[in-house]
Amino acid sequence: MGMFRLEGQDRVHAGRLAVIWVILSVIGIVAALQIHYPPYDNSVQGADQSKTMALMTVLAVPIFIGVVLMLVYSAIFFRRRGLELVDGPPMLGNTPVQVAWIGISAVVVLFLAVVGITTLASSSAAQAVGAAGRAIGQSGETGSSTAGGQGPELQVQVVAQQWYFTYRYADYGGVETTHLYLPLNRPVELHVTSLDIIHSFWAYQLGVKADANPGVDNVFHVTPDKLGGFQVRCAELCGIWHGHMADSDGRVVSQSDFDAWIAQQQKDEADIQKALPSYAPYYFPEPLTKGS
Amino acid sequence: MAVRTRGRDVSPGVEALLDARVVSVGVWLFLAADLFFFAGWWFAFFYLRALNNNQAWMIQGLVRPNRGFGTVVLILAVLTALAYFAASRTPGRGSVFRLLAPVSLVLGIAAVLYQGYGMWHLGFGLTDGAYPSVFSGLTGSWLVQLAGAVAWLATVVLQAGARGDTLARPHSATSFGWILLFLAAVGIINYFLLYFVA
Amino acid sequence: MVTAEHVSERRLSIPNNPITGVLLAIPAYFAGLWLGTLFGLNDDANTGIILGYTFATVAFLIGVGFLNYPLERLFGWRVSPISDPEENRGIGRFFRLSLDHKVIGMQYLVTILIMLLFGGIGAMLIRSSLLSPDSSITPPGQYIMLIGLHSVMMIFITSAVIVGPFGNYLVPLMIGARRMAFPRLEALSFWLVPPAAVILAAAAFWGGFPTGWTGYPPLSEQAGQGMDSYIVGFALIGLALIVSGINMLATIITLRAPGMTWTRLPIFVWGIFTTSILGMLAAPVLAVALVQLAMDRTVQTSFFLSANGGSNYLWQNLFWFFGHPEVYIFILPAFGIIMEIVPHFARKPLWGYRTGVVGLFGVALLSWFVWQHHLFVSGIAPVLRPFYMLSTELISIPTGIIFLVTLGTLWRARVWFTVPMLFCMGFLFNFLIGGISGVYLSDVPTDVTLHGSYFSMAHFHYTIMGGEIFALMAACYYWLPKMTGKMLSATIGRVHFWWMFIAFNSTFFPLFIAGILNMPRRVSSYDPALQGLNTWVTISAYFLFGSMILFAGNVIYSLFFSARPALANPWHARSLEWQLPTPVPAYNFERVPMIVGGPYDYGVPNARPVADLGGLVGVTGGG
Repeated sequence: MGMFRLEGQDRVHAGRLAVIWVILSVIGIVAALQIHYPPYDNSVQGADQSKTMALMTVLAVPIFIGVVLMLVYSAIFFRRRGLELVDGPPMLGNTPVQVAWIGISAVVVLFLAVVGITTLASSSAAQAVGAAGRAIGQSGETGSSTAGGQGPELQVQVVAQQWYFTYRYADYGGVETTHLYLPLNRPVELHVTSLDIIHSFWAYQLGVKADANPGVDNVFHVTPDKLGGFQVRCAELCGIWHGHMADSDGRVVSQSDFDAWIAQQQKDEADIQKALPSYAPYYFPEPLTKGS
Repeated sequence: MAVRTRGRDVSPGVEALLDARVVSVGVWLFLAADLFFFAGWWFAFFYLRALNNNQAWMIQGLVRPNRGFGTVVLILAVLTALAYFAASRTPGRGSVFRLLAPVSLVLGIAAVLYQGYGMWHLGFGLTDGAYPSVFSGLTGSWLVQLAGAVAWLATVVLQAGARGDTLARPHSATSFGWILLFLAAVGIINYFLLYFVA
Repeated sequence: MVTAEHVSERRLSIPNNPITGVLLAIPAYFAGLWLGTLFGLNDDANTGIILGYTFATVAFLIGVGFLNYPLERLFGWRVSPISDPEENRGIGRFFRLSLDHKVIGMQYLVTILIMLLFGGIGAMLIRSSLLSPDSSITPPGQYIMLIGLHSVMMIFITSAVIVGPFGNYLVPLMIGARRMAFPRLEALSFWLVPPAAVILAAAAFWGGFPTGWTGYPPLSEQAGQGMDSYIVGFALIGLALIVSGINMLATIITLRAPGMTWTRLPIFVWGIFTTSILGMLAAPVLAVALVQLAMDRTVQTSFFLSANGGSNYLWQNLFWFFGHPEVYIFILPAFGIIMEIVPHFARKPLWGYRTGVVGLFGVALLSWFVWQHHLFVSGIAPVLRPFYMLSTELISIPTGIIFLVTLGTLWRARVWFTVPMLFCMGFLFNFLIGGISGVYLSDVPTDVTLHGSYFSMAHFHYTIMGGEIFALMAACYYWLPKMTGKMLSATIGRVHFWWMFIAFNSTFFPLFIAGILNMPRRVSSYDPALQGLNTWVTISAYFLFGSMILFAGNVIYSLFFSARPALANPWHARSLEWQLPTPVPAYNFERVPMIVGGPYDYGVPNARPVADLGGLVGVTGGG
């Protein structure tokens, strides 16, 4: 503390603040860790996001508490007493304190950036499949790859248009379906594209959000690891019925159920299939007409 | 000594010096802003050219704009700027100024009219892909600014008489030279991008 | 700038006022509309409407008197002289073209507060329709229109709400100047705002526009004629940002009084300085995007149509290259206000002045390198995401400096808790939440869930409304006594603060939760499970609106009914603007002052007064 050249009064205040800050921060961090953060852990990616969100909250709590504590403390102890206007001590700054503040914030920021970048790298690389069709880097702690389905990534194309999503399964002759079914524990490569304007494919429970652009193949990866339903919504303003562009019938099913479902779809959609353009990374829309 | 100075900071001589600094700083700030404007267009040029979506940056069989035509416009614009810049640097705005400044005005008007004529005779339709879009937008934006600059050039030339503003406020006419030079420089960059790099 | 000797005696007098402007604008609009149809484009009159709006704006500006100066310069004789501020002290000067920066500041303040009322009503209508989860109160089409009008109106307002009124009014007073560098540009930056607001409002006649403030094509190319309002209105605001930025920078660079060195500059002026750099350089990029959008919609070019060689990413890049500096255009002057006001009421020098200035410049510089964080999930260049994640998170370092400087100033202070000081404390609390939530959005893995959800909507309302608007309120309570000569009621002010502070947090904090729980932005129908939360928010929003009405009531009551005259320096502040008499004389200073002390030297032994107002003859420019 000597290097900060604190005067007697500074020490009293700083000591008090430090004790309160540590106590409140510990309480706050413990409380923050009790929360189960969305989007929960229905997929490898969702679990990563959940964990990152928890980490951020743990880091944010002491910062938030520290600043608010300073504000409240100033309001109580550093307020003017009496009616007379008195000038405070003329402190112009304190280089070590400033350097320390900037240094600490830089460390926190760089730490967050490194964590963010490694999480990003692992959650997309974890599912990235090499040319040999081998799933790489399934990180052990996510515990995602226990069950079968270790084949190559399932290729699913998400086709957005005003105001609904359809899905085409490249591995099954490009069959087009109106709901998204995904097999459990199988890495999926989503190819998101649009036929008219920009939409955004948001499967909340799976931790996936990807914009659908006309003429663009936007690739996202997901590995669902819990059975159950999920919701699909559009998350980019796409015109009048944007708020209604939602489907709550997405399903994560077992591989055998999936096989049965997709076979049924291929049979049911066979007529429509003939009319569809052949499967492509993206489809250029017809020239737009003006006015609505 | 409660002298009412009516918005003038101090004596007229000092006021003129200050005015010169204000105008000069203002012009450089404007040029910085304008540089970002054209940089936005150059970004669009390179971005769309690199993406080449649907192979439609330069569609097959597109009639390219006439390079000779662009060369003539560019030479006119550069000469306008150089002539005016040289004129505005002559001490006292004497006979050299009175000769060169009108010349630059005539050259400038010619550049604007010639480029304007070119914009109506592009040789391609605006719907023919990305290059025609960028060509018309970038050249059109440059043309509009050049036309505005030439209009002010006309003011400067008309006010070059004995009691006119150009002599009363020499700094304004001096700083204006940089705007013409800037537009000529942008014209050169556009010329290479649109006629050669594309 | 006033009487010049060489000007001949010939005069042409046109009655220049906004009424002439409107009378000229109406036929000009129809002339543009007619001209547009001559091109024969199959574009639903978009060409005509864009030309009409443009012509109408030009005609309005001519009617107000902006053509007179170029004509004077061209012909050498007076067209319609602007009356001298020393002679014209009547109320009429606020209703016509004035080159007095104090008049322009007041014109800005009143205009923008009126616009704020309309933007706020839009917000109330949006919240009302969200009382029901199934679009039953407002049909989706009208809901989307409300979203568009509210967002763009608020962007217009927040671009100028501090720089316009307080920057124009105070910068010359704070740097010891008698005028602005370019008074005509300054006036132009104001007179572009009313046409922009009217043109934007005109979109309602065409059914609004469906894109929100981001205007993403191809949706904006598919949209109807309301989109043309967006294009022209936004372009006018962009132009206002450019001319205002050039004027502010030139003024601060060239017209500082002798002795007003860069290290004595009040920190608010630094806030204006940095924000002006951003406005001046970012708005031209927006202009490019708007020109391209207008061309796509009228002459059928294909800048943004991927089938025809364009790309919607081009818009997203250009728009956010402008758009991210734009949000710092909102907040930098607010930082300036907070750091300016806190020392005066803490009765202490600004702690770490130079570090604070570095913080402002750090934010301004980094704001150019972060724009693609708006595009993390757009599919554009995924390899660049780590870079934009890092650069975005780096911005929290200079932002943290602002907190450090303010908290350091409060340390062992003798804080006088006036209403402006309360709003400063409120700002710090709200902006802290806004800043921390921004870090969640800057991180790609969490952004995947939060992007485009109510979380991001709550985040930017915390920074803009909780930040900039709270700073605006602090500024109003602090400086209106100087600007109007009347004290605002402190009692109502305290009620206003606590009401607004609680209602604000009660409105926007739950929206973070709504976002985390799967509610996307800009939707008229949502998961019925979230209805309770939304109803709570809506009721809080009504209270928030009520607090703004209370503020308006306080202003009206204090100015016209209680009319308690303000002392020249009611806060006993050291800084230069408070050393002037109230009302401020026409040319501010009898002569250019000599600056001899810093503005924040409270308690400094042997501190000299900030300036010698007697001045020095024949010396100009900054030290």
